[in-house]
Amino acid sequence: MSTLAVRGLTRRFGALVVLDDVRFQLDAGQVAVVVGPNGSGKTTLLRCVVGADRPDEGEVLLDGRRCDETDPRVRAAVAAALDDIDFFPDLSVVEHLELVAYAHGGTADPVEEVLTELGLQPARDQLPATLSSGQRRRLALASCFVRPRRLLVLDEPEQRLDVRGRAWLAQRLLREKAAGTAVLMASHDTDLIDRVADRRIEIGG
Amino acid sequence: MTSTRISPPPVVGPAPRQLRARLRQTRRRHHPGSVGEVLTDAYVLVLFVALYGWFAVAAIRDHLAAPQVALTDPGDRYWIAVAAVTAGAGLAWWGLRLIGPLLVTPAAQTWLVSSPVDRRAWLLPRFGGLVGGVTAGAGLLAVAAAFAGGHDRPADLGWAALAGLTCGATATGWAVVAQSARSTPRWAELLALGLPAAGAAIAVLVVLGHAVGWSLPLPPVPLTAGVGLALLPVAVASTVRAHRRLPRVDRAALTTGAQFANAATTAAVLLDPSLLAALVESRRWRAIGLVHGRRFRAGGRFPVLLQAEVRRLSRHRGALLGWAGALLTMYAVAVALPSIAGPAHVVLAYLATGRLTGGLRAVSRSPGLRRSLGGNDTLLRLAHLVVPGVGATLWYLATLPALRPVPGPLDAVLLLGIVTAAFWAGTRPPMRYGGAMVNTPFAMVPVDLVRQVLRGPDLVAVLVVVHLLWVDAGSGSADGVTRPGRTVIPPAGRPCR
Repeated sequence: MSTLAVRGLTRRFGALVVLDDVRFQLDAGQVAVVVGPNGSGKTTLLRCVVGADRPDEGEVLLDGRRCDETDPRVRAAVAAALDDIDFFPDLSVVEHLELVAYAHGGTADPVEEVLTELGLQPARDQLPATLSSGQRRRLALASCFVRPRRLLVLDEPEQRLDVRGRAWLAQRLLREKAAGTAVLMASHDTDLIDRVADRRIEIGG
Repeated sequence: MTSTRISPPPVVGPAPRQLRARLRQTRRRHHPGSVGEVLTDAYVLVLFVALYGWFAVAAIRDHLAAPQVALTDPGDRYWIAVAAVTAGAGLAWWGLRLIGPLLVTPAAQTWLVSSPVDRRAWLLPRFGGLVGGVTAGAGLLAVAAAFAGGHDRPADLGWAALAGLTCGATATGWAVVAQSARSTPRWAELLALGLPAAGAAIAVLVVLGHAVGWSLPLPPVPLTAGVGLALLPVAVASTVRAHRRLPRVDRAALTTGAQFANAATTAAVLLDPSLLAALVESRRWRAIGLVHGRRFRAGGRFPVLLQAEVRRLSRHRGALLGWAGALLTMYAVAVALPSIAGPAHVVLAYLATGRLTGGLRAVSRSPGLRRSLGGNDTLLRLAHLVVPGVGATLWYLATLPALRPVPGPLDAVLLLGIVTAAFWAGTRPPMRYGGAMVNTPFAMVPVDLVRQVLRGPDLVAVLVVVHLLWVDAGSGSADGVTRPGRTVIPPAGRPCR
């Protein structure tokens, strides 16, 4: 059974059809990359998958069951870093990550390791307002790695990352695959796609 | 590398109460705030609302008790008030649905609510606060309205309170039920359209009846009693149902309202209402999504700009509805409160014209847009003044019979002033931060904010004064036929009031 299945997903804004009957499946340990030109609906597709937006038609299945964001089991399984991430202005980097780990029933144990891996150790006590856009992006990605996950959804994760950051990202995604996580991501980075993708989902072509 | 669990993870996490406590504890490390500070802020807020609320209620009550108002038909006044309350309830319902009504902050959504934490338990304190706040607020508003209208017997105030409380609880409960649905329920859309439409229909009936000398009778018992008793079980049922539906309120529903709340907070912190207006406008156009693009007819820059302006307006039906709603409101005011019809005419004309100045506001706020359109800025603004100018003239002429049968010199002055005020407000530049501040009894207020808020209304205030002075000067009215401050919608078979 596929970890993720999207069937006949359609999303309209008024009379504008952004996604039209999108279908695909994704198994555990696979990376699928959504590709398409600007405005083709990549972000909208990812938002519909994680439940941040509601499709007008079609369904999203997680392990063969309807993926309903109000189900705690779905929230426990799906980790996402989309473009709508926001921060508590008065909590530091490390406090944000500890909070996520705790909210998912875990402990702060993985936080230090993830901070080091993402190069956020020097910024661990900084408040979000003092972070650069690249550091914010890393913090958003870090929030996915301090908690359990079986489906990882990332919207253009390479954005605002420097060369070393992009190299790290490719390695990290390969390790996620190896660990059995299904990864669905949108990207414009052909090098990254070539290195990690098992399949491409072309939309809006 | 951190481990990834392959098997379905157990849905075991902290209780919402524990999570909240941890968040509070962490935040308190950075800025220790005391309960006393919060209570002081709340006290000041309640004091100001109570003080100014009481002044407003007392002023309205005194005005409604004045002899010139008492001469009007009580039935007409009562039903116009019912129409206003019905339309207002529709707007309140629309507002509740717009903000959620349940919402969480974007940060809480990202870092906490996306975890497996029990959603009902997480939302329950907000739900309780929302139901309590809206219910109590609606009850207080109803009592204040009844008192202002002169219905100050304990029984009348009691029925008004019951009607307000049940309306508030019912609306909040239903709004949460609608929010928990996967797609917007048809009944929720019908309610948003039906209530203002019902209010408009009642107003039209009263105005037309007044014109032909017929008046809706006063109900034998106050409507508030019937509404309160009828809605009591509905209020309880909707609240219980909403409570049951709390676990079904999903991330999409919570974040939609949160974006508005965030924009409203930013607008409040930066004292810039345009930030919220921009989001409302963006949502409105996104809901339309696609339009039929057609070529403009050739004919030079000015006619093409004009065509674009007309085309934009035809796609924004809400602006035209607002324009028409102001027209009906003018006739309703002339019937129910003729003593304030003159000043109301000026204010409503300004508001109606303002609904047509979207293009003017857009080009005035965006130097980039003006650069890309090219040419002379003044001509560009004037091209976007044609539609508001025509709209203001039509509105003024359509509502003039509510005041006087023949236009006079004053009307030319007022009409010109209204178009100028709309232009003045529409060409408001973007808010400038970091400018001079002025110390007021409430807080430090940026001078530019005062300029932003007063630009437009200042000219309207001058026009109202001009109108009042003209009337006081004993010229009767603009045409010199009717008496000052009186309406001329002549009820057949009755003396002109």
